[in-house]
Amino acid sequence: KLNVDVDTVQHGVEGLTYLLTESSKLMISEADFQDSIHVLGFSDELNKLLLQLYLDNRKEVRSILGELTPKLPSYHNLEWRLDVQLASRSLRQQIKPAVTIKLHLNQHEDQTTQVLQTDPSTLLHLIQQLEQALGEMKTNHCRRIVRNMK
Amino acid sequence: ILDDPDLKDIDPTVLKHCHAAAATCILEAGKQKADIPAISACLEDCKLDKERIEQFCTEYQKNKDALEILLGSIGRSPLHITDVSWCLEYQIKSNQLHKTYQPSYLVTLNVENSDSGSHPDVSFSCTMEQLQDLVGKLKDAAKGLERATQM
Repeated sequence: KLNVDVDTVQHGVEGLTYLLTESSKLMISEADFQDSIHVLGFSDELNKLLLQLYLDNRKEVRSILGELTPKLPSYHNLEWRLDVQLASRSLRQQIKPAVTIKLHLNQHEDQTTQVLQTDPSTLLHLIQQLEQALGEMKTNHCRRIVRNMK
Repeated sequence: ILDDPDLKDIDPTVLKHCHAAAATCILEAGKQKADIPAISACLEDCKLDKERIEQFCTEYQKNKDALEILLGSIGRSPLHITDVSWCLEYQIKSNQLHKTYQPSYLVTLNVENSDSGSHPDVSFSCTMEQLQDLVGKLKDAAKGLERATQM
């Protein structure tokens, strides 16, 4: 329908792909994008279309590229349950409280779950440590770095 | 026991039997959380004299708590969390994507396995919102615990 051979179409698609991924990856500004494609010698109308294509799809391309970075399993959800162990094969008449936790993690589109357990005092310790972690982003040090990195 | 100089005159087989019998008795008493009168009655049935029964019971009483802790720790349970480490990163760029500018937490749960004693720790990354969700849920669990202890 386009009256061009397969190779040309393929090159065209590859070229467009490269243009969009590189521009999105670097998050270049409109002005820089326009300057970059200007050297290709296309018509103004085509340049405008390309710019619009870039702006419309930039976010999506970036989120797809973001999936390609090396990653650890990421947190998805946590379920918990309180148990009291009353007896075991080796000891009767116990009262042993425990918190059973089901940790849901995502890795490369697979969801894994892990069942873990902890005792009340460790639970309180975990909460205290992680609350400290959350508080770090609000410190002057972190705020300064975030401000200066943009 | 076999190397003890005081016991070298006794036939090793007898010694082994005595040791096994004593161990079985102690473990069974510990398992059932038997009290001193129950143990004395049992030993009386075995025709031990009063002095020996008293000696046994005194020693048992001294070590009862340690024994219960030991027995309580035997058994299967899910991986036990002992500690947590965290690390706060600020991502700037990757080879796939530049200018990401996002804080990210790396959390490692130190885990112990009651059977083999070691297990790779559970590590995962999360955003600030996800960590807040995680901490919120842990706090719910703690509140649940508190309410349960007040019942």
